Amino acid sequence: MRAALPHLVRLMAAVAVLAPGVVRADAARDFESRVRPLLVAKCQECHGEKVAEAGLRLDSRRALLQGSDAGAVVVPGDAAKSRLIAVVRHAGDVGMPPTGRLTDDEIGVLESWVAAGAPWSGPGGDDASAPPPSRNEEMAQRITEARASHWAFTPPVRHPAPELAHAFPETMRAAWQAAPIDRFVAAGLTAADLAPAPPAAPRDLVRRLCFDLTGLPPSAAEADAFCANPSEEAYRALVDRLLASREHAEHWARTWLDLARYADTMGYAFANQSPLYPFAWTYRDWVVRAIHADLPYDRFVTLQLAADKVAPPVPREDLAALGFLTVGRTFLGNTHDIIDDRIDLVTRGLMGLTASCARCHDHKYEPISAADYYALHGIFASCEIPEELPLIGDPPAGPEADAFALKLTELRQALADHETTVRARGVREAVTHAADYFFETARPATRGADGRPPRLGDRYDLEQFVIDRLARFTDDAQATHPILGPWVMLRTLPDDEIGPRLEALVAGWEASPDPNTIHSLVRSELSSSRPTNLRQLAEAYGRLVARVAPSWAGGPAAVADEPADLASLRTLLGAEGSPFVVPPGDAMRLALQPESTEHRRRKQEITKHLAAASGGPPRAMAISDRARPVDSHIFLRGNPAKPGAKVERRLPQVLGGAAVDRGSSGRLDLARAIVDPANPLTARMLVNWAWTHHFGRGLVETPGDLGLRGEPPSHPELLDDLARRFIEDGKWSLRWLHREIVTTATWRQTSGVDADRVARDPDNRLFGRANRRRLEWEAWRDNLLAAAGTLDLTAAGGRGIDPLALTSLHTRSLYGTLDRQDVPGIMRVFDVANPDTAVHVRSCTTVPQQSLAVLNSPLVVEAAKQVAARSAREAGPDPDGRIVATWRAVLARSPTEAERMLARGWLAGVGDDAGPGGFGSYERLAQAVLASAEFHFID
Amino acid sequence: MAFKCPPEHEPRLTRRSALCRSGLGVGWLAAAHLLDGGRQAAAAPATPTTLAARPPHFAPRARAVIHIFANGGPSHLDTFDRKPLLEEYAGREIPSHLPTERRTGAALPSPFRFARHGESGLEVSDLFPSVARHADRLLVVRSMHADVPNHEPSLMLMNCGDARLVRPAAGAWVTYGLGTENQNLPGFVAMCPGGYPIKGTENWRSAFLPGAFQGTYIDTQKRSVDELVQYVRHPLLSSDAQRRQFDLTAALDRDHLARRPHDPQLEARLVSMELAWRMQFEAGEAFDVTREPQHVLDRYGDDVQGRQMLIARRLVERGVRYVQVWHGAGQPWDSHDKIVENHSRLAKESDRAIGALLDDLVGLGLLESTLVLWGGEFGRTPTVELPNGQGADGSGRDHNHHGFSVWLAGGGVKGGTVYGATDEFGFKAVDKPVHVHDLQATMLHLLGLDHTKLTYRHSGRDFRLTDVHGTVIKDMLA
Repeated sequence: MRAALPHLVRLMAAVAVLAPGVVRADAARDFESRVRPLLVAKCQECHGEKVAEAGLRLDSRRALLQGSDAGAVVVPGDAAKSRLIAVVRHAGDVGMPPTGRLTDDEIGVLESWVAAGAPWSGPGGDDASAPPPSRNEEMAQRITEARASHWAFTPPVRHPAPELAHAFPETMRAAWQAAPIDRFVAAGLTAADLAPAPPAAPRDLVRRLCFDLTGLPPSAAEADAFCANPSEEAYRALVDRLLASREHAEHWARTWLDLARYADTMGYAFANQSPLYPFAWTYRDWVVRAIHADLPYDRFVTLQLAADKVAPPVPREDLAALGFLTVGRTFLGNTHDIIDDRIDLVTRGLMGLTASCARCHDHKYEPISAADYYALHGIFASCEIPEELPLIGDPPAGPEADAFALKLTELRQALADHETTVRARGVREAVTHAADYFFETARPATRGADGRPPRLGDRYDLEQFVIDRLARFTDDAQATHPILGPWVMLRTLPDDEIGPRLEALVAGWEASPDPNTIHSLVRSELSSSRPTNLRQLAEAYGRLVARVAPSWAGGPAAVADEPADLASLRTLLGAEGSPFVVPPGDAMRLALQPESTEHRRRKQEITKHLAAASGGPPRAMAISDRARPVDSHIFLRGNPAKPGAKVERRLPQVLGGAAVDRGSSGRLDLARAIVDPANPLTARMLVNWAWTHHFGRGLVETPGDLGLRGEPPSHPELLDDLARRFIEDGKWSLRWLHREIVTTATWRQTSGVDADRVARDPDNRLFGRANRRRLEWEAWRDNLLAAAGTLDLTAAGGRGIDPLALTSLHTRSLYGTLDRQDVPGIMRVFDVANPDTAVHVRSCTTVPQQSLAVLNSPLVVEAAKQVAARSAREAGPDPDGRIVATWRAVLARSPTEAERMLARGWLAGVGDDAGPGGFGSYERLAQAVLASAEFHFID
Repeated sequence: MAFKCPPEHEPRLTRRSALCRSGLGVGWLAAAHLLDGGRQAAAAPATPTTLAARPPHFAPRARAVIHIFANGGPSHLDTFDRKPLLEEYAGREIPSHLPTERRTGAALPSPFRFARHGESGLEVSDLFPSVARHADRLLVVRSMHADVPNHEPSLMLMNCGDARLVRPAAGAWVTYGLGTENQNLPGFVAMCPGGYPIKGTENWRSAFLPGAFQGTYIDTQKRSVDELVQYVRHPLLSSDAQRRQFDLTAALDRDHLARRPHDPQLEARLVSMELAWRMQFEAGEAFDVTREPQHVLDRYGDDVQGRQMLIARRLVERGVRYVQVWHGAGQPWDSHDKIVENHSRLAKESDRAIGALLDDLVGLGLLESTLVLWGGEFGRTPTVELPNGQGADGSGRDHNHHGFSVWLAGGGVKGGTVYGATDEFGFKAVDKPVHVHDLQATMLHLLGLDHTKLTYRHSGRDFRLTDVHGTVIKDMLA
């Protein structure tokens, strides 16, 4: 400071008669010679143009005045109130620069500069007459601009499909001129001087269609039938049949479950806590049913967000839809992380809007403010998981259900008994230490580093919960209270004044023993014990507590006709709810570590029983509104310990910012806003998502990000027109949308094209051919089961199976239980969706571990055995017959002559060796075909 | 790191001809290149989807990492950070007490003896005599600090750079950034004997990065190669019989490909089958320590730590990028009680094997390019943990995230050096504090990666291992 004073004086003098910001020459010189060099050398590396840590830039006066994410950093003219100065002084929680404190002289320069109004000359200075816009104004402006100019924030409109150009190949005209999609695609191709690829061969087409719509291969007979009559009518009939099948619903349910970041566990759980979600499968089955029923997408989404809030009420089975919100990771119970997961799910998942970055500060790129984020936060903060999940079906009748119910009652009773035991022990010990509690509330002991009071001599730890209860209780009492009055009057006195003061009180009571002034039992206690210090006074009150404690907590046995004075003392100090007699619901607040462990174990037993025992009824993984909805504060830098302004629950400004219902969480309003036909994002996200899965590439290549940082659509008019027609013509029907896509000529092109065509559109941005695609994990495993002939399509729904167990070979992969904490390696290498975040499209890798599984995994080996058994069943001993049967089982086609010859020769070379473990020549043949590229790819 | 894959049409002919020409003999570079072309266009266009080796941002000092994770929190005060003042305060409250997970009381001097080692005179306690032989190669960071005194978040911070949210592990980031040098082995291996550490597979997850970058878990409690590496052998067929079967598949595939030219995806799949075929042998070989001569086995010790350190060496020798070696399932180093017995046992289990590993890395000339990191998720308190009915009996130390030690060796770090310091009692990092993010930034730097540029676009944001934090500590570099 000493060194700083001259600068201060000089600068003050310089600005004294001028408007702030208008810098006189000598102040300007000081800024240039002393301040700017400091800012450049010590601050701007992290708070400048390239990097703006904490949202703070120190390279212009305007940025300086705008402050950081946490608010203003300077108060011009008041160095003491300026955070910048506190921070460079290393005075508080943050010390800057992080590499080392500035010298006192340098700090002084900054102090005097701020004190002088932070004048700024030269580059980075501003005209003082125009105050810089606040961050809020700037954000509002960004939102307005984005809504006006970004393609995805303006509502999609219909576009007339362009007519086919003259240059379009004549032979294809008939096929390409009917569907709007085809005409949009054709226009793009023509513009690039390209023609569409020819249609796929019928056998390729039928296999592609079956995998695309159902995730299953056609049988060889089905494929043959289509190849015998590949007419337009036959194709459309097949499309309709597949779209109406349950297998279609199962396949697309799995795709939706990727988006819903579905798993059957909560993730990492504490020891003694079961990570299993017992009823996640009810959500999975609901999705299958909803898609099978072709529930319109707007309704589909609404129920998943607010099935419990819609009117008229839905049948109870539909409450399972709420699993959408609740099957995510639980982050060891961290509320804000759970809410963040849900916000990401509904914004990015359903709308391609990446809002979750705004958790810590206004979004750097997208028009989403932290206020927008916390307005959504309030919606989910106003929700809770009901203690008991709602029943959505009847328990199966019969002895199994009875046994289930009986055992459940037993387990619940055991839990209740345990709580009773803990409460009795806890209250008894609290009563025994009542004097210590009284003493502690009056003269709190010095807390240790851990914030807890020191352990007592008998190794008892005072319970903070009881301390707080007693403190509230005594703090509320008046000095005139007949029971607590003496305590209230005396507890704040020094020890040497307590005795004399009490003597005076006792004298007064003896003069006029008015029960309204002093309770008789308190009077007799204090008159006889005559405490002379606080410790003794606390002990006197401790004895009073002990006299009226419940018998189960060590108090005297109750008598029938209790005298009135004892009864009134009991009401205050010994009844249920009195400070020491903690209510049953709070019993576990008094638990010791082993008791808590035991409690968790017992609760887990109940969870396990509900989840695993047969005979129990299904339940919905529901969510409900809290009794009192809340608004959330903005957490500065996402830190709950630093609450900023409170924001009312509402939609993001970029979607209009409408408020939601004040009387509830607002989930229903949120759902309605998402599926409002005027919402610019929802339908675009959805049709692009479906397109991506049909084509292996999206119209927008970032299906989870339609924002400013996402990729623009390759065919904007096609995308918008399809989105609009999906709502208006398709009435939100997913089935309509699938049909609209797979009946196009675009979708039916061949994937086999010449090098020139590939060279001219290497990434197939123009959709001038089909993309060859590798089967995803579920389709690959299902394809194995289909080949093996073990697949039982009626084995569907209910609790999950182990997808890797050889005993599960009859059940589709969709029904596998997924532990998000431990996704099996084989599934990971086949790129299953990460179940911790909404996944619109899976990554697709080619790594040798996939091939290793193909070569050696028990799943493939078992499938090969089953294929061999099947070929023996179907073709008898004839080698050619078995080869044909193998090909037809695995590849849904007969072998070519060359292939048959190759196989015959190969079999002859292997010989009739039955092989180890029954893995003979036909088993090996089957595995060789199962390992082929053709099995793994869809042309 | 914005990976620009080459346009697909450019090298296609060369790749085709390379494949046809070489049959089984595809050079690894060419093979890697083929794989790179095999990505599915739809997913994420600028993302590498294979493990093919890729150049770093700048010249690296290290090309591989061995992270020896003493999980549970080893006591820095009993190993690498001697605090004589604790003896003076033995049994007394120290002035600079800090809150940790549980209650602690008076100062607890280290029961172990320290001595100076090597020319550098680095102080190491008698818990680690074999490691101490390498004193002049160690860079002991005594000023590490983390955020909270609990295992779960601290493990996540150390491994994934974030205490709570779902983020990829450092090993996943590194293999994402650099690929790996041996396509016949996983690029990122996490070994832990007898089960998972606390937080399980989250410690080596790929999170939003493609699954190929996830750590491959190996339970080194198991001895036989078949049990160690999943699907490494056909359960029924002999190698010869399987080769016949494999040849038939290859013939079918060649025919399939001939009728479907110009598809890098199919080509990549064919190559990947060949790679898998070799992986069966190479992985089997790499994990089979019985192939080592007896004198080597003796130096490492015929126990689980010896075996897994030896495997670590064999993996790095073969070009695996990132190897994590966990001490054991759960949190073995978590000595809330009986620190003398527990730390003695744990150090005895691992010291010899770590020493032998360093010997071999030096002998093989690999230490220069291999960064070895030893440490836990935090350290322990200089004060005794009070008896609490949770295992502590007044003879151990609580968790301490305020200050702890790790050491690094090789890979371009300044050996024989101590960096930073805790306060005079060893409670808190005070001199040149190194946050976990700084350690991560520095490790990436040694691998030739700029931690601010190794990013992945997810959910509308470019994520990185160090989030918005981390500073490369230049003084740690040789």
